[in-house]
Amino acid sequence: MSEQKDVLLRVDGLKMYFPITQGIVVQRHVGDVKAVDGLTFDIHQGETLGLVGESGCGKSTTGRAILQLYKPTAGQVIFEGEDITAMRGESLRKMRRRMQMIFQDPYASLNPRMTVGNIVSEPLEVHSLFNGKERREKVKELLDVVGLNPYFVNRYPHEFSGGQRQRIGVARALALNPDFIVCDEPISALDVSIQAQVINLLEDLQQEFGLTYLFIAHDLSVVRHISDRIAVMYLGKLVELTTRDELYANPMHPYSQALLSAVPIPDPVVEEKRQRVILEGDVPSPANPPKGCNFCTRCPKAFEPCYETEPEFKEIESGHWVACHLY
Amino acid sequence: MARLLEVNNLRTQFFTQDGVVNAVNGISYTLDEGETLGIVGESGCGKSVGVMSLIKLIPTPPGKIVEGSVIFNGENLIDMSDGEIRSVRGNKIGMIFQDPMTSLNPVLTIGRQIQEALELHMGMDKAQSKARAIELLELVGIPSAADRINDYPHQFSGGMRQRVMIAIGLSCNPQLLIADEPTTALDVTIQAQIVDLVKKLRDDLGMAIIWITHDLGVVAGLADRMLVMYAGMIVEEAPVKELYANPSHPYTVGLLGSLPRLDQVSGEKLDSIEGLPPDLIDLPKGCPFHARCKYRIEKCFTENPPLKTIGVGHKAACWIDVTKDPITTERPYQEV
Amino acid sequence: MAVKAIPHAKIKKPRTMWGDVVLRFSQNLPAMMGLIVVIGLYAVALLAPILVTTNYTAIDLDNVRSAPSLVHYLGTDELGRDVYSRVVWAARSAAFVSIFVPALSLSLGLFFGIIAGYVGGWVDTIVMRLGDILFAFPGLLFVFFIAATIKPAILLWVKGIGLTEFAKQGFVDYIVVFTALSLVGWPGLARLVRGQFLTLRNREFVLAAEAIGVSQWRIALKHILPNAMTPVIVVVSGGIGGTIAAETSLSFLGIGLQPPNPSWGQMISDYYIYWRNTELWPLLFIPSIILVVIILAFTFVGDGLHEALNPYLD
Repeated sequence: MSEQKDVLLRVDGLKMYFPITQGIVVQRHVGDVKAVDGLTFDIHQGETLGLVGESGCGKSTTGRAILQLYKPTAGQVIFEGEDITAMRGESLRKMRRRMQMIFQDPYASLNPRMTVGNIVSEPLEVHSLFNGKERREKVKELLDVVGLNPYFVNRYPHEFSGGQRQRIGVARALALNPDFIVCDEPISALDVSIQAQVINLLEDLQQEFGLTYLFIAHDLSVVRHISDRIAVMYLGKLVELTTRDELYANPMHPYSQALLSAVPIPDPVVEEKRQRVILEGDVPSPANPPKGCNFCTRCPKAFEPCYETEPEFKEIESGHWVACHLY
Repeated sequence: MARLLEVNNLRTQFFTQDGVVNAVNGISYTLDEGETLGIVGESGCGKSVGVMSLIKLIPTPPGKIVEGSVIFNGENLIDMSDGEIRSVRGNKIGMIFQDPMTSLNPVLTIGRQIQEALELHMGMDKAQSKARAIELLELVGIPSAADRINDYPHQFSGGMRQRVMIAIGLSCNPQLLIADEPTTALDVTIQAQIVDLVKKLRDDLGMAIIWITHDLGVVAGLADRMLVMYAGMIVEEAPVKELYANPSHPYTVGLLGSLPRLDQVSGEKLDSIEGLPPDLIDLPKGCPFHARCKYRIEKCFTENPPLKTIGVGHKAACWIDVTKDPITTERPYQEV
Repeated sequence: MAVKAIPHAKIKKPRTMWGDVVLRFSQNLPAMMGLIVVIGLYAVALLAPILVTTNYTAIDLDNVRSAPSLVHYLGTDELGRDVYSRVVWAARSAAFVSIFVPALSLSLGLFFGIIAGYVGGWVDTIVMRLGDILFAFPGLLFVFFIAATIKPAILLWVKGIGLTEFAKQGFVDYIVVFTALSLVGWPGLARLVRGQFLTLRNREFVLAAEAIGVSQWRIALKHILPNAMTPVIVVVSGGIGGTIAAETSLSFLGIGLQPPNPSWGQMISDYYIYWRNTELWPLLFIPSIILVVIILAFTFVGDGLHEALNPYLD
């Protein structure tokens, strides 16, 4: 019973296919880009779940499909017991108050023609929260919370640096007082010293407001720092999901192992001693994934069944899920 | 080892509508034959402009090298005419850039783009240059090179394109390879492939490398010596192990503190640097880092510290000693 | 809390986008000269009744084909009409064309472009194919066709609802010319607006608005449209010179503005027989020169805007 209560969000068999069509007048459906191909996982109340993978693996699409910014092809997203994939119109709009998003590119995610004040107050406006003066006070309060000078309300995004813009995006996401925030690579466009500022801010906010994060990133060092549990994604599928320390101590999927070994460590003494698993080749196209396991074309440990059947994503040890024929 | 490159007081400025941008402000360093130098810093710190100025590869106008000399093999590159410098670029000095998508010409085959430099600088004929191009592609690990030589850039993946760029950079057996954030646009597993390849090539061919990056992780296993740049100046210079073990400029300390590490248990907050780098048009008086520095003292507001030797091959531009002196302010940065 | 001022840490005085645009435009000499000419055109158009005391339709039979004089500054034509007053009143026609045609094309272009770009699906297909059909006709030929077919219909309708006087004064001519030119003008704009919408609707700030729960129409009008306008402004302003030229061509060919409405195109058509006449050549020469200068002026202003807005066109 208590465990059930812990789950804030359940993703069940989520698929997001983008159709490939041909023809000018009559469009024929000739295939699909299987950006997200059947994901199942839970996000617990108050935790940070890290979602890592390389570019094109579908991690950002997953975040967007969970928030219903894309209509999933199949599967359910259950938020506190309600299936939000079935919601439309007003009920979905109401639901959006509870789940928000912080975007990757602080330059592209703020409307260049709106002032900071308007950007941060828009969520309050469209959900008719507060009236004029209270709303302006609330905006100033939000800017203060994310560490921006409230004096800046009438400025435009281009007058700010990348890190400051990302703070504006965070303030916008916080405006509706959500329970759950998808952080879609929120720091990968920022400079190193600014990245740390934003990570610290996100951690502080989580503590202060009891937020639950889905933290999407390609940088494993950052994910290790901020997450409680980590899911590793490859070519539209989850290959491993476990607690942070377990993943780093005992990575089971060959892809997780390679990914971990590829991350450079800022310490020449450690680097000298490290043995790398260097993966051959490139990620196959999600429009034409290989037969069997998606990773079989690059896997150093692949054997016969890997080329034939798709491995099941199953719990090998308590709380440690892996999709691999080796286990 | 013999001295390959000597940069003296190099200063590059950009003359824009808003004012003079002080991109590189009098940097001096040396490089020996076969040595790998890592230059790290954040965007706008002048690390790229500083290195591109060596081979006069900055847009002019608005850019201009206003001062300094670059002695390469005993010759001053800054005094060279456009024609002379072109015969050095891509020949004695090879280059690889950040974005393999835009640095290859989309309408020429890969083979043509490699052969170009070979025919220009090495005086090879078509057949010779083709044979050499295939050899180079094999060297950088492109499978069935003889067939792929007729392919166009869009037929290669990002990692493969960067391999082609490396092949072009190495085509004329350069003494120096300049790599400007060559792995920034790539995924981490592909980055590992490229770094691995460059190391192998360096050991086989023995060229010197200047590797520009913002990522202290990538260069840790690659460089022999490091330069840390901030606001167009060198703030610290040290052999690689020394730099990571005993960072001596508060900025370097801050950068290392900002990085979460894969091999360390987290739980603590990152020790970030507050605030933003200074405006290069309107550089502050005193040390460029003082507005963000936790260790600053009165003197830092008025006098810019020179780069002085503090250990074997270790130099830092700071008035205080971070290992002994106390933190003077916890929250140095205030927005106005 | 006392904030200790650190001079360089402050954000520089903000420059708004439009402040930047005005600055860049004002540094562009041809554009500024063009702007002065354009302002001059509107001033003349507005002040025509003051600048001209003679009625431009009045026929002075004592002075037929007279050379420029103190009474008739630019002489008279073969009907004894004062050429100076015709030239001045024609400025009004040009000014009307330069305002109404772009305004009408822009409205149509925005309306159909937004519908096509935002609704998508079969609506998009129908609107864009309609635009393609209009696009496929040679512009001028299409204008002929409209002038020849819809004008009688409008005339009948106007008279039918009792606006005979209105019809007589030649307002119908204006309506026909404006409609014809706008119908040719909007598909290009609609295509541009649609393209902007398709690009912008996938931008992250639009997704961000969606994630907040902003309604579709508010997204279209408040988030996408303001960002789509920059290239539209450039295209519209760049096209005004061409629009004036198109009106002139129509009038030259006799299917544009009809007498008594004055138009430079009409005048060039009326007076081109004098092109080798040693005395009366100004009759042809003056309206032609004015026309060229005005079209160039609009083109320079359009180019100036394009360059001034260029950093913001992404």
